[in-house]
Amino acid sequence: MTDCGCSKAKAELEEYLHHELASNDAADIREHMAGCTDCSSEFHVGLVLTEAVQRACKEVAPEQLRDQVLLSIRTIQSTH
Amino acid sequence: MPTAQSVIERSVAAPVLAPSLDLVKMAREVDLSVMTTVKSDPRALFEEQAIPFLDQLYGAALRMTRNPADAQDLVQETFVKAYAAFAQFEQGTNLKAWLYRILTNTFINVYRKKQRDPYQGTTSDLEDWQLGNAESATATGTSSRSAEAEAIDHLPDSAVKDALQSIPEDFRLAVYLADVEGFSYQEIADIMKTPVGTVMSRLHRGRRLLRGLLSEYAEGRGVAVKSTQTSGEASVTPTPKKASSPKRVPASKDVSASKGSTK
Repeated sequence: MTDCGCSKAKAELEEYLHHELASNDAADIREHMAGCTDCSSEFHVGLVLTEAVQRACKEVAPEQLRDQVLLSIRTIQSTH
Repeated sequence: MPTAQSVIERSVAAPVLAPSLDLVKMAREVDLSVMTTVKSDPRALFEEQAIPFLDQLYGAALRMTRNPADAQDLVQETFVKAYAAFAQFEQGTNLKAWLYRILTNTFINVYRKKQRDPYQGTTSDLEDWQLGNAESATATGTSSRSAEAEAIDHLPDSAVKDALQSIPEDFRLAVYLADVEGFSYQEIADIMKTPVGTVMSRLHRGRRLLRGLLSEYAEGRGVAVKSTQTSGEASVTPTPKKASSPKRVPASKDVSASKGSTK
C-alpha cells in the first residue's frame, strides 16, 4: 500500500459493515480504523444508519392477515 | 493500544446483523428436526416452517408496496404460491431466501405494474441529481460525522420510513434485504435476479441517498449535522461540498506496518 490505507478502507467499508469481506481483508480494515478516526467515524455513521433502518422497519403483521393466510392454505389443501 | 482501537473492537464485536444471521442458522436447525417429525404432513410442515416468517415478509411487503392494503394482498399471495410450490423447496436450504424470492417475484410481476409511478420503476434517470442533493447534506469531517451519527440515531422511525419510501425502488429493496434482513450480497442477487455487482451499487447508492435524506431531515429539525462543537475543530463549516479527498489521517504507527510499509 502506497497510501495510508484510507482509500482501500473507504472503498470496502460498506462490505465490511455487511460482513462481506474475507477475514484477512476485514482484519486489515479493522486495523486501519483503529488508528484512523476519519475512517472509523465514517464506519460509525454507516453502522448507525443500518441500526436506524432496522429499528424503523420492525413490523408486526395484522392478526387478521395471519388468519387469512392460514385459512387459504387450508382451503387449498382441502380442494386437492 | 490506542483507545480508538477498543472502541472499534467493541462495535465490531456486536455486529448488527448477527441476530438475523443467527435466526437463519436456528431456522435451519429447526428444519432438520421438524423434517423427521412432520414429514408426512406437508401443510403442518409448511405452517411450522414458513408461517414464522409472516411478520418479516409483511415488513418487506410494506416497504415494497408502500401501503398496508397492498402489502397484505402481496403477503397473502406469496404464501399461497409458496405453499403450492412447497414440494419443490429443498429441505435444508434457506427457506427465508426462498420465500423472499417468491415475494419479490410476485411484487414485480403483479404490484409493480399496478403502481406505475414514473419515479419507481427505473433507477437511472433521477438518481444522479437525487444523489447530488442528498450527498451535499452528508458530513465529511470526523467530528461533524459523529454529530451526523448522533442525529440519525435520534430520528423517529417515521422519518426513516419516509426516507426509505422516497428512494428508488430497486435501491430501497437492496437496502432492506441487506440491512434489515441480513441477506448476503449473493442471496440478494438471487432474490432480485441481478448480478452481485448491481446489488453492491444499488446498496451503495441507496444508502448514500438515505443518509443524505436523513441528515437533511435532522437539520430541518434543528439538529446541527454539518457544524460541530467538538473541541479542536473549526466549528463553522459553511456548506461543505462533496468531499473529494479522504486524506485526513492521524499519526498512526503500527497500522501501516502490517501493510508492508516501513515503520
